Amino acid sequence: MTERLRRALFAPTDVLGLVAFRVFFGALVAVSALRFLAYGWVDLFFVRPTFHFHYLGFEWVQPLGRAGMHGVFVALVVLGACVAAGFATRLACLAIFVGLTYVQLLDVATYLNHYVLVSLLALLLATMPIGRAWSIDAWRRPAARLEAFPAWCTWLLRFQVGVVYTFAGLAKVSEDWLLHAQPLSIWLASRTHLPLVGPWLDEPVAALLVSWAGCLFDTTIVLWLLWSRTRAVAYLVVLGFHAATSLLFPIGMFPVIMVVGATAFFDPAWPRRLAKRLGGRFASAPVPGDVDDVPAPSARQRVGMVALASFAALQLLLPLRAHAYGGNVLWHEQGMRFSWRVMVREKNASVTYRVTDPATGVTKEVPPRAYLARWQEREFGTQPDLVLQLGRRIAADEGARRGRPVEVRVDAVASLNGRRRARLVDPEVDLAVLEDSLAPAPWILPEPSGDPPVRVASR
Amino acid sequence: MAAPLALLSLGLGSLGCERVSFWSSEPGPEGAAGPSTGVVGSTVAGVSVSAGTGIVIATDAAAVLRGVSVCAIDLYDRFVLDATALTTATEAFASSGTSDDRDRAREAWRVAIGTWQQAEVLRVGPAGPATLPEGRSLRDEIYSWPLVSRCLVEQTLVSRAYEQADFIDSSLVNVRGLAAAEYLLFHEGTDNACSASSSINATGSWAAIAPAELASRKARYAAVVVRDVESRARALSEAWREEGGAFGASLASAGRKGSSFESEQAALNAISDGLFYLEKEVKDLKLGKPLGVVDCDESACLDDVESRFARHSVRHVENNLRGFQIFFSGCEAGGDIGFDDLLATAGAGDLGASMQAHARAALGAAEAIEEGDLASLIVTDRPKAEALHAAVKLVTDDLKTDMVSVLDLEPPATVEGDND
Repeated sequence: MTERLRRALFAPTDVLGLVAFRVFFGALVAVSALRFLAYGWVDLFFVRPTFHFHYLGFEWVQPLGRAGMHGVFVALVVLGACVAAGFATRLACLAIFVGLTYVQLLDVATYLNHYVLVSLLALLLATMPIGRAWSIDAWRRPAARLEAFPAWCTWLLRFQVGVVYTFAGLAKVSEDWLLHAQPLSIWLASRTHLPLVGPWLDEPVAALLVSWAGCLFDTTIVLWLLWSRTRAVAYLVVLGFHAATSLLFPIGMFPVIMVVGATAFFDPAWPRRLAKRLGGRFASAPVPGDVDDVPAPSARQRVGMVALASFAALQLLLPLRAHAYGGNVLWHEQGMRFSWRVMVREKNASVTYRVTDPATGVTKEVPPRAYLARWQEREFGTQPDLVLQLGRRIAADEGARRGRPVEVRVDAVASLNGRRRARLVDPEVDLAVLEDSLAPAPWILPEPSGDPPVRVASR
Repeated sequence: MAAPLALLSLGLGSLGCERVSFWSSEPGPEGAAGPSTGVVGSTVAGVSVSAGTGIVIATDAAAVLRGVSVCAIDLYDRFVLDATALTTATEAFASSGTSDDRDRAREAWRVAIGTWQQAEVLRVGPAGPATLPEGRSLRDEIYSWPLVSRCLVEQTLVSRAYEQADFIDSSLVNVRGLAAAEYLLFHEGTDNACSASSSINATGSWAAIAPAELASRKARYAAVVVRDVESRARALSEAWREEGGAFGASLASAGRKGSSFESEQAALNAISDGLFYLEKEVKDLKLGKPLGVVDCDESACLDDVESRFARHSVRHVENNLRGFQIFFSGCEAGGDIGFDDLLATAGAGDLGASMQAHARAALGAAEAIEEGDLASLIVTDRPKAEALHAAVKLVTDDLKTDMVSVLDLEPPATVEGDND
């Protein structure tokens, strides 16, 4: 490790910035888990469905049953509170990562980018000494108390949040988004009931303006937050647009997560400065010691740094993997998950399976609703690997019922960003003998050509 | 204006949601055409549609909602007349017991169910489930199919519970409505569908009823249920009218103060949910299952046809498709404004035209089938039934993919949860 890098990573920083982040994060996890319990989502997503879509290689992850699943979410509430209070902090963060990841692995149809982000943040916080200041842990073990945190903790969080913003922005550098203003043109036109701006939202130019502004925001907001001279204004803008999205859409905790996440870009002493400005009685900021006062990292710490560097590299490579498949990732969806391509597609599908008994030649249809809850049916049809997964399950069930193998084909059509629908999956391919894999899938048909529709203003 | 739009530009265009549902708690702005002051007798103003000139003249959601309201009231009014005629004819039959009166009652039932099948695709408001705005489940009270039970109706014939004053209030929907009336008016056999262990068979109470008495009871029972259907039809029509429940006005003024709908989009969603009747009920239950392609282990499941006693199932599908056209393309009374006009405004006029063509083709396929009984058709001319099924599937694929995408509608019963 070069001396310059060591100085940058291990420079002592004020603890309060990360303490505030820890408190916000713990509260956010607790509230998120409470919402699942309060709204009945635990039963809806994890108890009632009789079929779950699994991630490749994680087919063994199964729901725990009603009591078990409710127990997981109650535990997440408690763990969130533990993190906020700084009690068994690292262990609690690790348990949150394990718990949330388990929940997300249960059903691909529940995939949401912001749940993934919360899992990753929990994992990162578990590597940091964030429980050693302003916490029950520090109160119980004064000898372990820290007066400063190493700078790498803050930079790691900034990196993670920055990755989300940046890749979300890069995903918008596309013909659909910038030239055709899709899918925003579709979405804005259906929001003309909104106060003040509503009547203008179905103007074709409005969608174009919003598309460009959104792309510029996502791709550059990290820079504005990093630069101290623009940070305050940038954060106000962050607050503004997340407040707007929160009011406009049922996106739950997402705006809160991003507003909390963006605080990682603040100077670590921000809570102390804010308190002073508000007349609070914080102790004076500790004078950060020179980095030379910090002992050189131990071998264990070096291994940890290598692990974190590998994690960071993975975070950069995962979103880029979609390019290895070629074509339009929004259509074939290979490499779509974990790539932070949020809000770039309006996609709907119609799926019907055809089961043929080779012994009789008779073909029957199986509608997905025979296996899926409505919310699963809504999600799965646009994702070819999930269409394959259910097809294989139908093949297994029908084969077992008849005592001989059957062939399963699918009529799967999808519409992307307002284009006329096209076949998503080759209707001649027997899904029963297909294996899902990370390799390019030739059974996914090419995206339809042509431009999306262009609106006519209705006023 | 620039400031809020700029803020919204950032808010909407950045990280956020994907495929979201949206239910604003704020009343929406007054539409450009001004607030609706009612539906009955009003013209659908401020809108126009694409003409043969190739010029697309934009239509807004408010205009479509006003059109739907007018069409719905027009349709429900027709059903009230048909239900009244059915009551008159059935009561006459119950009094006389003559075959002429029976035939008149049967014909009145065919007319009434024909109109009702058009209304089946409208699942919003008082006809819709109680979980929706102003939902009163009147649809199930009028026609509960596929919730039907011949055995329960037969048990009621034995017990003569239909003669009791509280029969309507105390009985299940599957022994009332147009479905029960169909059995009572059309089934002349003296057999029953209950098991041998059922009380009416085990005790011999069914067998003890003489055929003439059984026919008489069926006619009197039919008169009771069609009177209730007429009453529900009037309630439904009143609920939509300005001078009654004013649901039509509520729908037409969606997003404004006093409306049950928080936004025009929520109202459009509710209407489009009803159009999905074509997917599950028509394509799969009415056609696919009897054809043996869906949820049927045999080569055909003929016992699952919709209209087993009147043998009118193909006409039911035909009327369902007519109903779809009314609410997709609009009706004359409503200025012919419908979802197809919204699609044109969204730049997808070709999709609207294609959907109309698919709907017309499906309707044409149904009209071209002279045989009214799907079960007979499947036996004698299966390809025609398969062609009708395929034609309906084209319409439902349009609905599930292209239309919901372009108009940003949510398919029915999509879970409300977090999105991104």
